[in-house]
Amino acid sequence: MASARLDGATLPVITKHITQDVINQFEACGILNRSNIHNDPELASRRLGTTYAIASGRMSIAFCTEAMRKFVGAEDFHRSGNVNLKFLRPVKDGDTVSVHGQLNSREPQDDGSTMVIVDVYCENQNGDKTAVGQATARIGA
Amino acid sequence: MSEQELPLFDYNEVEIGEELGSYEYVLTQEMVDLYRRAVDDPDAVFPTIAVKHDATSLSLAYDDQTGSVNAGNEIELHNPPVPGKKILVTGRIHDKYVRRDKPYLVIEATATDEDGRLIEKMRTYQLKKPEELGKKWHPQG
Repeated sequence: MASARLDGATLPVITKHITQDVINQFEACGILNRSNIHNDPELASRRLGTTYAIASGRMSIAFCTEAMRKFVGAEDFHRSGNVNLKFLRPVKDGDTVSVHGQLNSREPQDDGSTMVIVDVYCENQNGDKTAVGQATARIGA
Repeated sequence: MSEQELPLFDYNEVEIGEELGSYEYVLTQEMVDLYRRAVDDPDAVFPTIAVKHDATSLSLAYDDQTGSVNAGNEIELHNPPVPGKKILVTGRIHDKYVRRDKPYLVIEATATDEDGRLIEKMRTYQLKKPEELGKKWHPQG
């Protein structure tokens, strides 16, 4: 099943509408229950000089994991997946973020599996890249 | 998590390889459900991404008045966590460096569950001068 999905070279596009509510929900998953630059606009203002709280970059990591899971299959991705992103621009309440990816290479491994390497990026509703990086998974292990 | 007196974070004093200690928590189904709502993905299985294991390790080891902005994140997935199981996290300072006069700290956390299954490894590249990004995002501000 995984190899069938890889007949294409493009990740399924994942699009998410960002609100302060979903940012707050994401932050509420933590175990420390503290104010931070994601859930407290005043703290973001003091620390960053922004007029708004910013979404955690880890939300973009989560969106990329969804795209990769759909691309290579959950079984392989959940046991060998890797997502590595560099954040370029803030994501905030009101933004729409989409994940895009293009297959970079498929590298046969000694154990008979294949390492799939995908160039990924996230962009906002203005077409500006908010994050770039790579995601990988070993399929057919 | 109980609050306790923590040493003040000092970028110049922390050392590469320094252990940040360990902590544990029970991953609940409520955390999974909240995470799935936050990332709008009903099939997401790694709510640990939002628990921010590495940043939590640093927060439990130091009183960080500087704050930070994530310049990048990398996550390795190994096994999906099971709701109801205890998650054990160990953190460390993976690296620190100065690039273009900006101090970066790389923190890393490894998570296993109570059965010893490796769940994930997370690495975060923190810019420890967060106001610099604010200036970049709002050059006129």
